[in-house]
Amino acid sequence: MKRVAGRLVWAAAAIVAACGFGAIAMARGEPVNSVWIVLAAVGSYALGYRFYGSFLAAKVVALDARRATPAERLRDGHDFEPTNKWILFGHHFAAIAGPGPLVGPTLAAQFGYLPGTLWIIFGAVLGGAVQDFVILFCSLRRDGKSLGQMAREETGKVGGFIAMVTVLIIMIILLAVVGLVVVNALKGSPWGAFTIAATIPIAVFMGLYLRYVRPGRVLECSAIGFGLVVAALAGGRVVAQSAEWAPWFTYGGLALCGALIVYGFLASALPVWLLLAPRDYLSTFVKLGVVVLLAAGVVGLRPQMEMPALTRFVDGTGPVFAGKIFPFCFITIACGAVSGFHALISSGTTPKMMARETHALAVGYGSMLLESLVAIMALVAAGSLAPGVYFAVNAPAGAVGATAEAAARTISGWGYPVTAAGMAELARTAGEATLFNRTGGAPSLALGMARIFSGVLGGPRVMAFWYHFAIMFEALFILTIIDAGTRVGRFMLQDLLGHVWEPMGRASWKPGMIGTSAAVVAGWGWFLYQGVIDPLGGINALWPLFGIANQLLAALALSVGTTVLVKMHGAKYAWVTAGPLAWLAAVTFTAGAEKIFSSDPHIGFLAQARVLEQTGTAAGQIFNARLDAAVCAVLMVLVAAVLAVSVRLWAGLLWRPEARVLREAPFELSRLEAEEL
Amino acid sequence: MKRLRAVWKVVRGLMAELADERAYGRYLEARGERATGAGWRKFSEARMRAKYERPRCC
Repeated sequence: MKRVAGRLVWAAAAIVAACGFGAIAMARGEPVNSVWIVLAAVGSYALGYRFYGSFLAAKVVALDARRATPAERLRDGHDFEPTNKWILFGHHFAAIAGPGPLVGPTLAAQFGYLPGTLWIIFGAVLGGAVQDFVILFCSLRRDGKSLGQMAREETGKVGGFIAMVTVLIIMIILLAVVGLVVVNALKGSPWGAFTIAATIPIAVFMGLYLRYVRPGRVLECSAIGFGLVVAALAGGRVVAQSAEWAPWFTYGGLALCGALIVYGFLASALPVWLLLAPRDYLSTFVKLGVVVLLAAGVVGLRPQMEMPALTRFVDGTGPVFAGKIFPFCFITIACGAVSGFHALISSGTTPKMMARETHALAVGYGSMLLESLVAIMALVAAGSLAPGVYFAVNAPAGAVGATAEAAARTISGWGYPVTAAGMAELARTAGEATLFNRTGGAPSLALGMARIFSGVLGGPRVMAFWYHFAIMFEALFILTIIDAGTRVGRFMLQDLLGHVWEPMGRASWKPGMIGTSAAVVAGWGWFLYQGVIDPLGGINALWPLFGIANQLLAALALSVGTTVLVKMHGAKYAWVTAGPLAWLAAVTFTAGAEKIFSSDPHIGFLAQARVLEQTGTAAGQIFNARLDAAVCAVLMVLVAAVLAVSVRLWAGLLWRPEARVLREAPFELSRLEAEEL
Repeated sequence: MKRLRAVWKVVRGLMAELADERAYGRYLEARGERATGAGWRKFSEARMRAKYERPRCC
């Protein structure tokens, strides 16, 4: 009876997914309701988890519930601690979910909602979740080792070195690109700038409160911090409406860029407890709260998708970023489908807290599916905007024209009607001076979210509040990434330089600390600056670089996973990770080659440099285009090196089975009691 | 009701884990100490040092 009921449940899930996809497929030229997209996604995730995930867990890696995990064997009450499965699920999800799954799908919506939706769903089920799960499994069987350590052990020194260099490059480009998202969101917005500026003294207050007033009461302190941030949000409205105060908080892109660079340096040098940690606690709770709210809003409001399934920009002439669906959709949406960065989390804290090996399926595979659902929600929020509005917000002045009238004319000429008066009214409703040319994805996502939130809670009258709430939410955790990332980059650079000159490797050596902090800030600050002065909005150059770097890390993680699977089973199950790896290699190489060599100056960096040279543009911008090409070339060489080393290794392992030595920790029987799970 | 209570227990546990309050509890338990301001400062400094040496996800 139970078996029949189970089959009925999974048959129902299959029908739900089929209905979702069917409704999307049959809506030819008609707007489709977002509920069908959500149903297609949820049904696919359920089936993927139940059948493909279970297959991976049972057959491919053979999870063993009797085997003691590192959390049990190496338990120290600190890092290694067996933790409840669902608590660890939430912890892992909070760690993998950053701005990527929100911003990437928003930018990729320029192709229409269909390419992004399909890539997010199938990329996650067959690639991203597989990568996260397999790396988590590998780390679980190797005492919770990191991706870099495993790459060194399984694929040799080259793999370990590439992991380290890639992470450093990604960190620098990531910090620049998310910095640009914040700059573009706060540009000319006194309400937003005031609210975000207010979060700095609020975080300092929280740090002092937590250290001296109520030590250890983080939840209580975060609740107070959240109350203060909401008060700052209300204060922001007063500031924006005041003729006296508004100019004090109205900044252009360059001023915000400078402020962010100074902030990044100070935040990485200040004691962690004073600013970074309290802001991190606050942003984690706000992030989870907003994700839940967004999901509830989408389900409650069920907005219509105004964006067509495919736009005319599938031909590669998009104003948000240039390039065709293949390969650019697949590097624009990384987090949400496949993200190499997740492999660092799956081989970081999570394996050290897992009580049972069998929990890896829910935590590793399941968390990624949930993040993919967040990406779908972001796509729904962006796709529910009228296409004309979406392009007016996301297209740079260089592509559509500097004045409202010119931009409206250009965008309407593409077949997506929008008027300057309509945009002015929308900006007024959102409490902004203008919404034209607000590139980066954050403002259009905030608009979509505000529409959904205000549709469920408060109506159009509170649209401005929800818009700035969404901006505050995005900026809050992006700033946390900037200060934490600068710090992490500093440690990594110190570690790398320590191999050259020993004192640089000492974390406590002040000149080394200041020098490396300044170097990391200068690195991302330079890319941020070039993004701010870029007439095409910066995102066109920086986001693809970030996507390529992220997918390079995914290629490395999948190579490590394939090596372990070849050692376990020979060629039998290698396709599980080698398939996504082949896809990512094709995507990364094609995107990299196009970004360097394309003769279209909107796509190819070298062609762009040539055009800039011919038009007599400042030497700095020409240098920037060539620098981007060089960074892209370095990333491609690294991908090629990963693949060459891995293929050679696999050939050797397949040829000589006796060389298949697994470096797993020895089996030990678990003695955890049921209540400890 | 029982199920709701179980869900709340997980949500509360997750929030305490994200807030490092559970880790602090484990730290005190392992050392047989009671919660004090100095204890929290010592614990949080070590924990944050480790936390912010690891890359953050995008």
